[in-house]
Amino acid sequence: MLLHYATGLGIVVAGGVHLFTVFLTGPYVQNLAFSSVMMVYRNILLAVTLELLLVFVDYHALNGLRIILIEFHQGTTWERGVSWVLAVVGILLLVYGTRTILIANALA
Amino acid sequence: MAEGLAREIKSALTGWFYPVHYNLERWAYALQRISGIAVTVYFLAHIVETGNVVGGLSVWSVPSQDFASAIWSATFHFLENPLFDTGLIVIGFMLSYHTINGIRLTLTEFGVLQGKPSRPDFPYEPKSFSRAQRAIFWLSVLFAAATAVYALNVFFGV
Repeated sequence: MLLHYATGLGIVVAGGVHLFTVFLTGPYVQNLAFSSVMMVYRNILLAVTLELLLVFVDYHALNGLRIILIEFHQGTTWERGVSWVLAVVGILLLVYGTRTILIANALA
Repeated sequence: MAEGLAREIKSALTGWFYPVHYNLERWAYALQRISGIAVTVYFLAHIVETGNVVGGLSVWSVPSQDFASAIWSATFHFLENPLFDTGLIVIGFMLSYHTINGIRLTLTEFGVLQGKPSRPDFPYEPKSFSRAQRAIFWLSVLFAAATAVYALNVFFGV
């Protein structure tokens, strides 16, 4: 559970940077134009921040869902099943998101 | 089996999401759950959506700029409508609430701002939900409302 709080605080920082770059550095529609988005991925610090945000949110969201589902029904089989399925979903999301960041960084 | 499952679902849904007649802490808990689920759903969609900035699900090597740019523009125009903008306002509210209330829960986890244990007397007010804790809860609601107003301004220029 300590990781849940740690990733939560990590999201506050990395998510803050993410929202700042989208909403507070200029008009939002302009910031989401292809060339502006590529500028974010080209910046290695911002790209690393996005990757960290991805890891933190991935863990925090799926662990939160796991807590809800384990509270919903008690049992060893259920608990193991939920944990494994969500771990696999989490890894797939992480792989896909990391692919986006790596390719966008190379493309930019 | 099916009957047991139906009962389990019903008790879970009312227990988690129907805090009427319970104290404020229960409302904070229900809203934390609802906002967590809402933001998780947004996160899944957001990973798929942002994947289109390099051309979508089928792209696993560096594509041409023109291809990626065309896919991204199409995605952006598809998502740029009042329905999705309204959804983002709701997500903004949920995210802000979840953030500040989550900080309150983190403080609680480490025993900060907790009331001192004492003899339970009528009307059995929970000592854990201290004045400072209640203040942070209302701050989270206020911050969420402010975020929603800000988002309304960004997306609809109100």
